[in-house]
Amino acid sequence: MSNTPMSSIGFSTILASSVHDIKNSLTALQALLSQLESVYQDPKPTEFKQLEFETNRMNNCLMQLLILYKIDLSQFNLSIDEYSVADMLEDVVAQQSTLLSLSHIELITECHDDLFCYCDNALITNSLCTLVNNAQRYCHSKVLLSAVQEDDYVVFCIEDDGNGYPESLTASDHKQLPQADLANGNTGLGLFFTETIAQLHIKGDKRGFITTDNNSQLGGARFRLYLP
Amino acid sequence: MAINLSSKKILVVEDQSIMRETIKHILGSFGARHIIEAESGINAITAMRIDKFDIVLCDYNLLRGKNGQQVLEEAKYLKLLPVHAIFIMVTCEQSQDMVLTAIDNKPDDYLIKPFNRMQLLNRIERCYVRKNYMAGIEDEIESGNLYSAIHNCEKLLEQDDKKMRLQLLKTYAELSIKVGDFRKAEEVYQDILHERELPWARLGLGVVAFYLGYYDQAIKTFQDLIEQYPVMLEAYDWLVKAHELMGNDEHAVSSLNSAVTLSPMSILRQKKLALLADKTENFPVAKKAYTATIKLGKDSIHGSSADYSGLANLHLKNNAANEALKILYELNQQSHNDPEAKLRAALLENEIHRVKGNKALAQQAYDKALKLNEQFNKQIPKELRLEMAKTFYLNGNGEVCDEILGDLIKTNIDDKLFIKDVVAMCNNVISENHAEILIQRIKKELVDINNKGVSLFQEGNIKGALAVFEKAIEKMPDNHTIILNMIKIIIHDMKVSRPSLEKITRAQSFINKAVQLGIPHSQISGLQIELDALQQKINQ
Repeated sequence: MSNTPMSSIGFSTILASSVHDIKNSLTALQALLSQLESVYQDPKPTEFKQLEFETNRMNNCLMQLLILYKIDLSQFNLSIDEYSVADMLEDVVAQQSTLLSLSHIELITECHDDLFCYCDNALITNSLCTLVNNAQRYCHSKVLLSAVQEDDYVVFCIEDDGNGYPESLTASDHKQLPQADLANGNTGLGLFFTETIAQLHIKGDKRGFITTDNNSQLGGARFRLYLP
Repeated sequence: MAINLSSKKILVVEDQSIMRETIKHILGSFGARHIIEAESGINAITAMRIDKFDIVLCDYNLLRGKNGQQVLEEAKYLKLLPVHAIFIMVTCEQSQDMVLTAIDNKPDDYLIKPFNRMQLLNRIERCYVRKNYMAGIEDEIESGNLYSAIHNCEKLLEQDDKKMRLQLLKTYAELSIKVGDFRKAEEVYQDILHERELPWARLGLGVVAFYLGYYDQAIKTFQDLIEQYPVMLEAYDWLVKAHELMGNDEHAVSSLNSAVTLSPMSILRQKKLALLADKTENFPVAKKAYTATIKLGKDSIHGSSADYSGLANLHLKNNAANEALKILYELNQQSHNDPEAKLRAALLENEIHRVKGNKALAQQAYDKALKLNEQFNKQIPKELRLEMAKTFYLNGNGEVCDEILGDLIKTNIDDKLFIKDVVAMCNNVISENHAEILIQRIKKELVDINNKGVSLFQEGNIKGALAVFEKAIEKMPDNHTIILNMIKIIIHDMKVSRPSLEKITRAQSFINKAVQLGIPHSQISGLQIELDALQQKINQ
């Protein structure tokens, strides 16, 4: 009996309801944090910044976990429509706004108002949030979030002025699950996730993809997401 | 663009007090003063009955009772939301849109938990910008002036605002379908698909094919969409409709069953599944769906006594009279102030006792039904009246039965699906041809009235002709021919005498009604153009 597979209970249902519960907890946690934070005068204790970063990260991981699981089961579908890229970048900035207000990091966005992109808005915005959240951790003082049209692709670009990606993250093939560098707290899951999502965006014979290098105009890491 | 929330009435529907506090706190920090909280769906509806809100933030997963989608459905159904109100659904998961959505009941936007103050504000602001932009169109839709709405759409499209372009085109195509201009809608969808494969535009093409009667093509489109997007419920809904019109009820049941599995909380789908499965004698599916409908109905405006009698009748068909009695008992518990429910209960009681052979009890219930029928007569929904007619006949009162049938046929002569039900009932219970004879007689009556009106009109007696049609419309408010002739005469009257605002409004309301009844675009658009010309004459 003990070897009976648990498919009858439905692992995906269990996962979905667990994610739902954790999300509610995270929301409550964030709410409590912001209430607690409003008690303090500026400058606020640096622990708040750390707490905000960690809740963001937990939330992002959770979302990635659920979606990658669904993709693995072929139960996932993109919901594609046309979106204003400026609006998407604005959403990323909004999502990061609490963290930004607690740190002294400057998040700059550059994008033409008339730039539009066919994509799954919620997913792409969330991937960008995850990566910007990370960039804030590794930069010195500045992160640049920009988007342009390049031939048949809309290219989202995140650059920072930190020390750049470690070699393991620029050289690796993002289609492979990264070798986790758990000791340094960097699993590369965010990049793997974004590559997976990018690959699902298809137009004709073109697919989305990502690149990572250290050619940032700010001197640090540069991440680019290409969507057809 | 910082919106000012200080003048806005806001409703926050959320079952967790900590979240309510937080949202209130955030809204307060943006100047909001009028914030009402509700911790359940029922309280949300009550609050919306008392106040007209500008913004509703509603959590999807409310723990007890109605969920967010049901709150939205009910608010729309009861018209508790002003046209300009913003309804934002707060959810835990991304990309739920397609699963959550029922046709016609989309929130203005979704907001995914957790969110911070900037995210909340951004969402509200964007909704406002979009609502304001579309207001000129939405207002006309709300008043039923679809042609004016289309006109306003065209004007906005000329301005070529890229951000609003697709939203406008979508509305434009949907409106074109509503007034029956299918070629225009097809053109719009094709243009969009030429640029990019978007599921809603592909669905639109399927809908156009459906209305043009190319059912095979429509079915293929919907099936392809479902294969590609297995959670796209609208595609299932249309597939079901297409199967139904093709007479493929079994296929319809199986498609609808898949949709119900994806959205078990949608009462309207459960209800439809129950009826369809019942019709195709797929009793296990019907029983399950009726039971689910009754359960969901307790928290929904769409719950009805018909769900109970449906299930009870199903039990009767399966020789389970005692099960039927149990359902009757439940129905009686629910039917205090609802004449429709009381009548259904009486009919059901009569049927159960008839089946069980309790003549005296059956007679008692029949008398109850008779009394209720006299009392409420025409306020009763048509399918229940049809059931009444059947009961009268079975109890030996053929005269009253025919009276009801005649009236039902007269008022619904253009409703093909319902007339089909009337014919089926007569064939099963009374005799072959019974319905046909009634229908022929009524069609002849109709032709006579129409000829009388038209000949008066041709003699130049416009007042007389108007009087004939007015009387006819009173009796048959949904009859296509009479409505069209009425519009023609009012317009002609204004052409020969002089246009007046009152007459124009009257004609417009009949045109709106004609659109609503699904009279083809080709028969209405010319009349609308003539009416618009008269309107211009007045304005000059």
